[in-house]
Amino acid sequence: MNSTVHKNAARHWKSAVGLVAVAYLLGATTLLAADAGAGKIPRFANGKPDFSGIWQTTSLADYDLEPHAGREDAPPGVGIVEEGEIPYTPQALAKKQKLFAARESADPRLKCWTLGTPRGIYYPEPFQIFQRADDLTIVFEFGDSVRTIHTNNTLHPVETDHEFWLGDSRGHWEGDTLVVDVRDFNDQTWLSRAGDFHDEALHVVERWKFVDSNTIDYRATLEDPGVYSKPWNIEVYLYRHREKGFQLIENFCYTHDYDQYYPYPQPPSASNVH
Amino acid sequence: MHTHTWINSARPRPVIAAVALTIAPLIAWAQEAAQPATPAVAALTPSTAQATSRPARPAGGIGYEKTVPVIESGKWSGKRLPDGQPDIAGDWSNTIGNHNNFTDPQGGIPNDPQAARSGNRRPLGPREDRAPSRVSDPPDGQLPYLPWARAEQQALQHAFFDQTKPEDVEPLSRCAPAGIPMSFYWHGYEIRQYPGYVLFLFNSGWRIIHLVDPNHLPANIKLWQGDSRGHWEGNTLVVDVSNLNSKARFGRTGEFTTPNVHVVEKFIFDPDDQRYNYVATFTDPDAFSRPFTVTIPAKRWTVDSPPNGWHYEVPLANTADGRKIPDHFERICVENNGGFGQGEAKAATASTASPGSNVAGK
Repeated sequence: MNSTVHKNAARHWKSAVGLVAVAYLLGATTLLAADAGAGKIPRFANGKPDFSGIWQTTSLADYDLEPHAGREDAPPGVGIVEEGEIPYTPQALAKKQKLFAARESADPRLKCWTLGTPRGIYYPEPFQIFQRADDLTIVFEFGDSVRTIHTNNTLHPVETDHEFWLGDSRGHWEGDTLVVDVRDFNDQTWLSRAGDFHDEALHVVERWKFVDSNTIDYRATLEDPGVYSKPWNIEVYLYRHREKGFQLIENFCYTHDYDQYYPYPQPPSASNVH
Repeated sequence: MHTHTWINSARPRPVIAAVALTIAPLIAWAQEAAQPATPAVAALTPSTAQATSRPARPAGGIGYEKTVPVIESGKWSGKRLPDGQPDIAGDWSNTIGNHNNFTDPQGGIPNDPQAARSGNRRPLGPREDRAPSRVSDPPDGQLPYLPWARAEQQALQHAFFDQTKPEDVEPLSRCAPAGIPMSFYWHGYEIRQYPGYVLFLFNSGWRIIHLVDPNHLPANIKLWQGDSRGHWEGNTLVVDVSNLNSKARFGRTGEFTTPNVHVVEKFIFDPDDQRYNYVATFTDPDAFSRPFTVTIPAKRWTVDSPPNGWHYEVPLANTADGRKIPDHFERICVENNGGFGQGEAKAATASTASPGSNVAGK
C-alpha cells in the first residue's frame, strides 16, 4: 500500500520535472516570439495585421475621459487623456460644464443614438471587426451603427458636408499600425457621459496596433479648433472576447421606447411575450 | 426623397438622402425603365399572374421587372473567395417593388385615400399586368393566415391610413430594423463576406450570418433580425433563422408573423453573378394554417449600373487615380417626425394621423 503510494508519488515527481522542463521550453519559445516582436499577431493574407474579432475596452473612459474621483454616476478613474485634461477653449469649457450638469438626461447614448468616433470604440459594449483587404467593417453592438474604415487607397469624399455620425474613415498602414483619418462629422455626438463634446470640424486620427494577439493599443488624436485650443490624445486598450460562445447580439436599443407596442397582434391564446 | 429619414436626430438632414438628391432618382428610374429587362434565365410562371407570355416590360419606378426568373439550386461555377465561399459580395436590390404591398408588389398601398381624392393614380389594370405575389407558395399567392390572424392583418392594413393607436404605426417608420423578409425589398443593400460569416448591411439594420457555429442563441433572446446560422450548398446560401421577435412587418399591408416563427432561407445565386433569388419558407403554426414560401428576385448593382437613388445609394469613391470604386457611407436612420413616421409624440399619444400626406413623395 505504502509502496504504491510511493510509486505514484515518484511518478508524479517525474511528471513534475517533465512539466517544468516543458514549461521552460515553452517559456523560451514565448520569449523568442516576443523578441521577434509582432511575429505572433494574427495576419491577413496580404501580411497586414488582422484585427478580425470581437473587441471591448475594460477602461472606464466612457464615464469620463479626464481624471476624476468616484461620484454617484461614475466610478473613479485616472482618465485616458494623455495631456491630463481636454484643452477646451474657455467658451467650450463653459459649454462642457453645462452639458456635464445635464448629463443624466442629455447624453445621446440614453436615446441609443449612434455614439460616434471615437466614443463607440471605448464604450463598454462589444464591437466586431470584419476585415478585408479593402476595408475594415466595425459592427457595434450598441444601436444600429456600422462603420467602414476604407483601406483601398481612396480619399475623403469631395463633398465635405455630409455630417456623418461616425465620420468618414480612410485608413492606411504604417508598418503594423492602422492609421485612420476621420473627418466630416455632425455635432450630435458626445465623447463621454461627462458632457465632453465636439462640433462638425472634429478631425480624428486613430492609430490601431496590436500589443499582442488579443490586445489592441488604440490611440486617437482629436483636433477641433473651435472647441479645443490644441490637439489632444487618448489611449485605451481593447481586449479580444475569447469566452466560450461569446458573440455579438443585435441591440437596436433605440427601439425600446416603442417595443411595448409590438408585436401586435398576438394569437388569442398566447401569453404575453414582451 | 426618403420619407424614412436617415439621421436619428431632430435634424431633418438625411445623409444618404443627400446622396440620393444628387442622383435625381426619378430621372434614374426613367433610365432604368428604358432599359429592357434581360433576365439571364427563364421567367417563372407567377403564381397569380401569367406574365410569362408577355415581354418583361419594365413597370418603372422601384419595381421595374414584372417576372421572377427561375434560378435553380446547383453547383457554383462562379468565382470563389479564398475560404471557398462563392464570391457574391457587393450591392444588391430587389427588382419588383418596395414594401408598399406585400402580395401585390406593384399594386400600391391599398385604400390610399390621397390617390382616391386626387385621382392622380392610374387605374391598376388587370392583376397579371403586374409582378406576381411574393408568396410563391401557396399557389394562390396569399398568406395562409388563420382566421384571427387574417382579421388582424386586415385591421392593420386598414389602419395604415387611419392610425389611431401606436401599434398602427409600421415599426420601420420609427427606424426599426426592417426584419425578415422586408429588409430584402427596402432599398438596396450590401453583402460582405468573411471566413465564417456573411454580413448583410441593410438600409435599416444589419444581419450577421454565422457559417461556422450552427447553434442558435437561447430561445428567449428575441431579436428584430433574428439569429441566423447558415451554410453553402453549391450556389445556395441556406440560412436557418430563429429568435425573431416578429415585431417587424412585411410591408405597409400589415402582414406579420408571431415570435414562434421559424424561417429557412435560400439565397440561390445565378452563376452569372448578376442575380439571385431569395426563397424563404416560414413555419409559424400560431398564425398560419400551413408553411408558406416567399420569393424575392434580386439583381446586382455596380458602379456601371445606371444611377438609381432607391436601389443603389452608392456614390463613386474619391480616388486620385480615376479608379471607379463604390463608396459605402454610413446608414443611420433617425425617426422622422412626419409622413409615414407619424412622429414619436404623435404616435405615442395615438392622436390623429394622416400618413398619406407623403405618399406621393415615396
